[in-house]
Amino acid sequence: MDTLRKETLTAAGIDVDNALERFMGKDDFLERMLKKFAADVNYQRLVEAVERQDAEAALQASHTMKGMCGNLSIMELSELFTRQVELFREEKPADAFAMMPEISRLYENVKEAIGAPEA
Amino acid sequence: MGHRIHSVAYRDPQTILIVDDDEINRGILDNIFADDYQVEEAENGRTGLEKILDTPEKYCAVLLDVMMPEMDGLETLRHLKHEELLDEIPVFLITAEANDAVMKEAYRMGVMDVISKPVIPYVVMRRINSVVELFRARRSLSNQVMAQQSELLRQAEQIIRLNRGMIEGLATAIEFRSAESGDHVRRIHDITRYMLKYTEWGEGMEDYDIEQIAQASIMHDIGKIAIPDAVLNKPGRLTPEEFEIMKTHTVQGEQLLEKIPELKENLAYEYAKDIARHHHERWDGRGYPDGLKGDEISPWAQIVSLADVYDALSCKRIYKDAFPREKVVEMIRDGSCGVFNPRLLDAFFSVEDEIAKMYDANGKEDAK
Repeated sequence: MDTLRKETLTAAGIDVDNALERFMGKDDFLERMLKKFAADVNYQRLVEAVERQDAEAALQASHTMKGMCGNLSIMELSELFTRQVELFREEKPADAFAMMPEISRLYENVKEAIGAPEA
Repeated sequence: MGHRIHSVAYRDPQTILIVDDDEINRGILDNIFADDYQVEEAENGRTGLEKILDTPEKYCAVLLDVMMPEMDGLETLRHLKHEELLDEIPVFLITAEANDAVMKEAYRMGVMDVISKPVIPYVVMRRINSVVELFRARRSLSNQVMAQQSELLRQAEQIIRLNRGMIEGLATAIEFRSAESGDHVRRIHDITRYMLKYTEWGEGMEDYDIEQIAQASIMHDIGKIAIPDAVLNKPGRLTPEEFEIMKTHTVQGEQLLEKIPELKENLAYEYAKDIARHHHERWDGRGYPDGLKGDEISPWAQIVSLADVYDALSCKRIYKDAFPREKVVEMIRDGSCGVFNPRLLDAFFSVEDEIAKMYDANGKEDAK
C-alpha cells in the first residue's frame, strides 16, 4: 500500500496498521474488504429504519456496521456504532436515532476515502 | 458419536466451520486458518447447524457468531448441546458482545471458549489450535485404548470358546466309550438350559448362572472314565457288584474335577462338581451316592437327573431299546426310574412338547 493511500485512509479514521494485522498483512485483501464495506447495504438499511423509527431493524443494521467497522479498524465510526447499539439495548431508541447526523458525517468521510467500488 | 469416530477408516477431522452473517468477518477468519485447515463457511446458525449435523465427524472446530439472522449463536449452541456434539467438536463463540449474560449462558452450555471481536489473528489462532490439538490427542488416546480393549475382549472370548470346546470334547470322549454319540451331552445341556430359562424351575436365576449350569451339566457323567469297559459297556443287567462299581462314577466325577486346578477358575466349576456327584440322587432319598432327600439336592442336580433319565429312556442304549414317548412320560410319572420332585415334574411336563422336538431335530439316530 502506497503512502498516499495510507494517509488518505488514516485521515478518515482508519487505523491501517491495525487493520492490516488482522488481514495477515495482505493489503489487497484489506482493500477488497474496504470496498465491500463501502458498498454494503446495511448502512442504507440503518438510515431507512431510523426514518421509520423501527428500533429493532435499526439495531440489527447498526450491530452489523459496528462489526464491520471493528474488523476494518475504522475506529471513530466503530465507537459511534458501539454507542448506538448500547443505546438501543438500553431501550433508549430516541437517543440512538439522534446519533445519525454524526454517524452519517463520519460514514460519508470514510466512504469517500475508500473510493469508488471495484468495477 | 464415539462409535462413529472409531470406524476403521477413521481420520482426524480437518475442517473448521465459520458461522457468521458478516462476510468480512468470515473472510478474516477464513484467511487466518486457510493455511492449516480446510475452511467452510455458513452465513447463519441454521445453515451452520445443518452442515454440522450432516457430517459431524468432519469438523475439528466451529467458530460461531452470536447475533445472526435465522438462528443466532446461542440457539445453535443449544441444538449442538442437545445432539451431544459439544464433547466431540469444540465450539468457539466469536462475539462483539462479550456481556456477562451471554458468556455465562454459553459456558454453561459447554462452549469451549469465547473470543471477542474484532479478532486478533495470533490470539485466535493460538487459542483454537491448542484446543484442536487437545481434541486430537484425546481422540487418538481413546482410539488406542478402544483398540486394546477390543483385542483383550477378543482374546477372552477365544479362551472361553477353547474352554468350552475342551469341556465338551472331554465329555464327548467319555460318551464315546459307552458307545453313545456326543448328542447325549448336547441334549442334557439343552434340556437343562431350556428348563431353567423357560419354566418356573429357573425362577429367580440370572441368565449368566443358567448358562454356567447348562455348561456344567455337560460334565455330569465325567466319572465314567474311571469305570472299566466290562461294566460300562456290558449288554444287559449289571450284577449288584457291578452296579456298585457303576455307581462310583458320581463320586469319581467329582474327584476328577477336583484334580484339574485350571477348572477351578471356571465359574461353572462348583456347579459341575455338585452335578457330577448328585445327579443320581432322588427326591425320596433312595438315590446315590449320599442318599440326599428333597431339597437337600440342589435344583441344578435335580434338573440334570431328570434330563438324564428322560434322555436315557428316549434313546437306544447298549442295555436297552428306545422307548416311545408316551412310555417315557409314563415311566417318569410313575417313578419307575426313581422319584422326582413333584414341582420339577410339573415344570417339566408343562414344556415336554417343546423338549420332545429336540429329538425330532437331532435325535433321530439315537431314537430309532
